[in-house]
Parts: sequence; C-alpha cells; structure tokens
Amino acid sequence: MNFDAKPFLLFSNIENGLMHWLLVFGSFIGVIFAASILISVGIYGVSGPVAVMGRVRQGLHDFLNLSPKRIWAISWLTIIEAVRRKALLVFVVFAFLMMFAGWFLDSDLRADLQVKNAVSFALTTVSWLTIPVLLLLSCWGIPEDIRVRSIHTVVTKPVRRNEIVMGRILGFATIAAAIVAMMGIVGYVWILRQVPNNASLICRVPVYGTLQFLDREGNASDKGLNTGDIWEFRSYIEGGTKASAAYKFPVDAPVDRIKLESRFEAFRTHKGRMGQSLLVRYVLVNPTKDLRVPLDSFEIKEFNLNEQYLERKLSFYDEVRMDKRTIDLFDDVVDQNSLTIEVQCLDSGQYLGMARPDFFIRLPDRPFAIGYFKAVLGIWLLTVFIVSIGVTSSTFVKGPVATLLTFSLLIIGQGFREFMIKLITGVQKGGGPIESWYRLVTHMNDTLELPDNIGIKIMQGIDNVMLGGLWLMQHLIPDLTSFVMAPYVANGFDVPWNLAIFRSLAITIGYLVPCLLVGYYSLTLRELEAK
Amino acid sequence: METQSVIQIKNLTKIYRDFWGRKKVRALNSLSLDVKKGEVFGLLGPNGSGKTTTMKLLLGLLFPTEGEITVLGKPASDVSKNEWIGYLPEESYLYRFLNAEETLDFYGRLFDMSPQQRKERSNQLIELVGLQNARKRQLKEYSKGMTRRIGLAQALINNPDLILLDEPTSGLDPLGSRDMKDLIVKLKNEGKTVVMCSHLLADVQDVCDRIAILYAGELKELGRVDDLLKEQHETELLTSKLSPEAVADVEAVLAKHNAKLLRHGHPTNSLEDLFLKTVQKSQERPGQRFVPAASEKS
Ligand SMILES: Nc1ncnc2c1ncn2[C@@H]1O[C@H](COP(=O)(O)OP(=O)(O)OP(=O)(O)O)[C@@H](O)[C@H]1O
Ligand SMILES: [Mg+2]
Repeated sequence: MNFDAKPFLLFSNIENGLMHWLLVFGSFIGVIFAASILISVGIYGVSGPVAVMGRVRQGLHDFLNLSPKRIWAISWLTIIEAVRRKALLVFVVFAFLMMFAGWFLDSDLRADLQVKNAVSFALTTVSWLTIPVLLLLSCWGIPEDIRVRSIHTVVTKPVRRNEIVMGRILGFATIAAAIVAMMGIVGYVWILRQVPNNASLICRVPVYGTLQFLDREGNASDKGLNTGDIWEFRSYIEGGTKASAAYKFPVDAPVDRIKLESRFEAFRTHKGRMGQSLLVRYVLVNPTKDLRVPLDSFEIKEFNLNEQYLERKLSFYDEVRMDKRTIDLFDDVVDQNSLTIEVQCLDSGQYLGMARPDFFIRLPDRPFAIGYFKAVLGIWLLTVFIVSIGVTSSTFVKGPVATLLTFSLLIIGQGFREFMIKLITGVQKGGGPIESWYRLVTHMNDTLELPDNIGIKIMQGIDNVMLGGLWLMQHLIPDLTSFVMAPYVANGFDVPWNLAIFRSLAITIGYLVPCLLVGYYSLTLRELEAK
Repeated sequence: METQSVIQIKNLTKIYRDFWGRKKVRALNSLSLDVKKGEVFGLLGPNGSGKTTTMKLLLGLLFPTEGEITVLGKPASDVSKNEWIGYLPEESYLYRFLNAEETLDFYGRLFDMSPQQRKERSNQLIELVGLQNARKRQLKEYSKGMTRRIGLAQALINNPDLILLDEPTSGLDPLGSRDMKDLIVKLKNEGKTVVMCSHLLADVQDVCDRIAILYAGELKELGRVDDLLKEQHETELLTSKLSPEAVADVEAVLAKHNAKLLRHGHPTNSLEDLFLKTVQKSQERPGQRFVPAASEKS
C-alpha cells in the first residue's frame, strides 16, 4: 500500500502561511512594478513612471469600486454560453460511464479492496471528466470573445476589466460546482450500490502522533532499521531487544476508552513459530512519573488492521513496585496532553516495520458521505484553481497556448514541484550562477575563499538578485497534491480539514488574487483586437 | 457663444503594428477634430480610410500612437465615460447564443440597471427597432438586418448622450434605413450627440450637420454640410426649360457682367459630387490636407 496519509501539517499555522504568501506575492508585485518603471523610463523617459503610477492608481480605484451586479452579469453570460454550447453534456458521458463501469471492476477481490476500487473509480472519473472540460472552457472563453469581437460591445459599457476576469472565473466556478455536485451525487449512489454485502463504507477519523525510535540498546534515534527496501517509508525495529517505536499522541478531554488502530509489517529472518504471526506489545509510558504500563501482547494481522481498546481504568502488574495496581489512563499515563505508547516486538530475530501513519488513535467514525463529499469539494477546488489560471492566461495568449500553459502548471503542481525545487536550488553550491562560472574558469573549488575586491562584490550582488529570482520562480509553482483527496476516502479515512480542505482553499485563494491582478492589467494594457 | 465640445481629437496618429511591433499600416495621420454637443457628425471616406479606427480610438478599444483624445471631458481610456456612450459596431459583434431579450437584459446589467428598468427599456427598444416577433429567437438565427437592429437597440440601452454609429444603415432595408435616419434626427432633437460613418452619402446628407472626409487616414474636408455643398464661387440659376436662343441671350447678359455660363442642364449638386471630387483631388495631390480655419482652431 503506498497511501501516505500525510499526518503532519506542512505549514502548521495560518500566520506562517499568510506571511509566506505575502512575501512571495509582495516580491512578485515588486519585481513587476520595478520592471515596468524601468521599461517605461527606457521608452518614454520621465513621463513613463508618471504613467505607470497613473495605471496603479486606476487599478486601485477599479479594485475598490467593483460592482457585484456587473460581475454577476459576466458570470451569467459565461454560464449561459457554456450551457448553450452543451458543456453539460459531459454529465451524460459520466452517467454513461458509471452505468457500465460495474462490469469492469473486479468483483473477486477482498471486500474492502472492492470498496476501495469503487470509491477511487468514482472520484477519479469525476475529476477526469470535469477538469478537461473546464480547462478548455476557461482557456478559450476570452480569446474567442476577442476573436469574434463580441468583447467590443462589452468593454464599451462601464464594465471594468477586472470585473470581466472575475465574472469569468466566477461563472466557470459555478459551472464546475454544478457539474461536480451532480456527478458527486450520482457517484455516491453508484458507490452505495457497488458495496458488496460483507463490506461497509467507513470514514475513520485518525489522530496521528509523532514517532521516535529506540535502537536495540535503548538509545533514541530518528529512524529504525532498514531491511533493504528502497522505499524508506517504513522503519524496522528488532524483536526481542530493547528496540521500540514510541508514538506520542495528542489527547484532549478524557473519554471512557480509546480505540487504537495499527497496521504493522513483518520482516522475518527465520520461519518463527509455525502458523503464527509476530507477537507485539504496547507499553504505555509516562516519562515524568517514570511509569511504564505493559499491555497484553497480541499477534499482528499482516496486511490488515489491528484494533485494540484502551480502557480508562487499567489494571496491570507493576514490575518496579512488584505488585498489581489499577491506574487511570488520563490521570496517570497522559502527560501534558499527550499519550506515549511504545511498540515492541517480542519475537527475537524478527523485525517489525512501521511508519508514522501506521498507528493512530481512532476517534468515533463519521458518516461515509462526509469524507466522500469533502473529496468532491476538493475536486471542485482544483477546478477553481485551474479556471483561475486558465482565464488569466487567456487574457494574454490565445486559447491553445493558454490551455498548454495551464495544463503544464497542473502537471508540474502534481508532483514535479519537488523536482523543480531541487533543480532550481541545486545552483546554490559554490555560489550563484556567475560565481560558479568564475570558480569554474579560475579552477577554484567551492571551499576556497574568494578574494575580497569590488569585482567579486558586484558579481555576488548580481548572483543574489538572480538567486532571488529563482527563489521567486520556485515559489510561484503551485503544490497541488493536497487537492487530491480521493486516497483518503478510498482508504476509509475522513478527509482532514486542516491538511486537505483548508490547505487547498488557501492555495486557491493565494493564486486567485495575483491572477486577478495579472488578468486585469493584461486586459487593460492590450488592444482587444484579434491579431 | 460656442457650444461645448463632446469629442476633441488632437493630432491623432494611429499606426497598426504586428505581433513583433513592426509597423504595418498608418491608419490615421495627425487627425484633429472637434464634435460639438448636440450635433450629428458624419465621418466619410473610402474603404480603409480610417473611419472605424477613429471610432475605436474614441472608445479606448485601440490606443493612439500619438495625439490626444478627450471624450465627454475624459481621456478615451477612462471606462467611466462609457456610462453615457452608446456604440454600434461596424458589424454587430453580439453573443449569438442569446436571444434579443437576453441580449438587452445582459447589456442593461452592465449599466447596473435594476431588473424593472431593464425590462421596460428592452421592451421599448425591441419595439423601436421592430423585432417584436423575434424577441425570443437566438441571434444566430437572425438575418443581417435583424442583427443590425438588435445592435442598435443594444447601443441605446443606457439612453446615452453620445452615440457612435459605425455604418448604421448597412444591411438595412429601405424602410429600415428610413427609420434609422428618423431615429438619428429624433436623437438629435433630444439633445444627443451622434457621430456616424457611412458610405451612403444620401443618408449622410439627410441627417448630418457637419461632416469630415477622410482619405488614407488624413482629414481632407471638414465643415457644415450646407456650407460644403454651397459652391462659393458659383451661382446656380434654376429656370424653366430654355430654348437655345434664350441660352445665348443669357450668356450675353452674363458676359456683360464678366461672368461665364459654365454649364447648363439639370443641377446635380450633391454630397456625392463633393465626395467624389475630394477623393479624386486627394488621389491627384496626395500631400494636401484640410487645415482648420483659425476661428475653428482653439
Ligand atoms: N486590426 C488591424 N490590424 C492592422 N491593420 C488594420 C486593422 N484594422 C484596420 N486596419 C487598417 O487600417 C486602415 C483603416 O481601417 P478602418 O477599418 O479604420 O477603415 P474604414 O474607414 O472603417 O473602412 P471601411 O469603410 O471599409 O469600413 C486600413 O488600411 C486597414 O487595413
Ligand atoms: Mg469601417
């Protein structure tokens, strides 16, 4: 299984995210502003910057005096156009696909895998049908409007150009909402009918902790052992030694019992006990009170879930005090709102593998529909993102180019981002681009000190500007991975608000704002004539 | 007292460039014009002389290469002036998937009009342009003349003070052009300013107060229609049919007064003559252009 539930927030609080955004956005605007001032001086001399400032003032004025009525008029036009041009036929395609999809899904699989397939299929189909349609609609709308010059009758009315951009985006977002909602509902009903009798749709709400390893001598380390797997997602602990994996879960108000769920992997160096799986034990730990509460050991279910309940009142044999005692989980074990559980493997010579998301506290389940429709919401957010980029790019290039541009950004955002970042930031070793050249030409390796003179200063100054530019470029590339929420639902999890929904929403809004600015200025500064 | 200028154009030059910024066409060359409040102003000129370009520049659809434009006291790039402007494009570039009612409703919304106002106004305009029977049909089914009519209705949706009509009578049937001319006169009587360009000189002659003739982007003639058509150096006599002897007698009388009979026959002094003459002259002597008299300048 290669589903990583990503239990950890990438930007943990909203202020950090906002500051980061302001920094990137501010630099973006700053660079464009500085460039336009320079260019205008170059072309028009002193009157250039005056004109630029006039444009800025006009822009501010136009953004502060938006008319919702006019924006909605443009949205209405956009919607009617899409409907009359039969964009909603995509829904028919969807219905058709869903009608026959059941035939092609494997019904010999294990029940929970069948459920997983059905959910993935439904959500993937919704996004694969919606995204291309809206990509094309949004990238071709304005260029077509300019080509047939119908935009002339619009811009000669008191509509501001930013209202056109906003209206278009809003219109497409509305169409997307209608399509996604309809498909989502049909998909939901379809999933309900696909579920085999012996399986059920679940929506687990996990509370993940942090993970720390202890090696065989009992020393702390960040990682366990590697059993030779290239994919270093899981780390292993050795059985029958002091090695353990300590999970520290956040807990708040006391409850009567806590449900623990885990899914560990076994790696064997010998056959072990015939017909039996590895023996594992949880130990509750309160480091402040020096309390260790070993629970009953159990055999793990390989490739399947282990479920345990932790009762609030626990009786156990205290090895330190040498007697039997009863303690309260929340009063005695929980320390500063966190519950620490060490996982140990009892079979010597065998290894137990785990990763952070493999062990969690399972809160009461939510209805499946909640997780499912959150994922549908995620698809809609992604289309809104695409539509914003599509409409914006279509204000300065023609339809095909806008489509290509938006599509590339979409692909890059789905995972090539890391690669791009490495590519861009890899430059830094041995200085910036010019310094690297200098070192290359003068045969200085990157550990040697450069001579301290004015030429070097200038060189490094230019380098810093260039690296700043690269930094900006790197941060302009979107990270769209959080928009894909289907894996949560398919794996029987709820979609986390913070991590998926809010994050995607923040990204969408974060791109929408500069998009509106770029769209406004490119429609204002160009002649709306077909070229 | 001179009336207020609605449109002021000073030394307007427009050069169309291609994608790479290379010069393609010099569509307007140092054009200066003034349109006064309440007049009907005609822009004439052969095909490609820059009439549509002038209109688009006035509306801020194109940006001038050089020169200044003031429309209703604001620069052409200022969108807020559009509040009081109506524009009928050369070809009606409308949304073909809307029907007549929806079209007018849509444009009405762009003026922040209330639903009630929009409804009243579009009913009124549909009536005015005679599309009552086609109000629910999508524009893609419209004939050219019908499209023209809905285009006109669209231009008048905001009850504008300044109306720019690019070839308003093209595509209209004789009845339609008659109506159009009546409408222009009516708008003028309501105190509105109309700028129109047209090839149908008879139409222009009927309705325009002043005209400008453009040739290859240059202003060749500008003035009141009556003045332009009045030949200052000629006097026209219209008589009943004269016998050849009578003509000889008249010639003798004229000779006594140091005048000559230039031509006799049916008087055909029309705008068409003027137009053709101007164009011909321009072709013969390309450099010459109209320079406004001193009184007209400032
Ligand atoms: N978008 C454009 N790109 C390049 N050149 C253009 C463009 N639009 C017009 N022109 C050129 O500018 C000149 C003036 O054109 P314009 O459309 O203003 O003429 P017009 O007087 O309206 O002609 P018509 O009577 O045929 O409508 C022409 O030479 C034309 O080829
Ligand atoms: Mg024209």
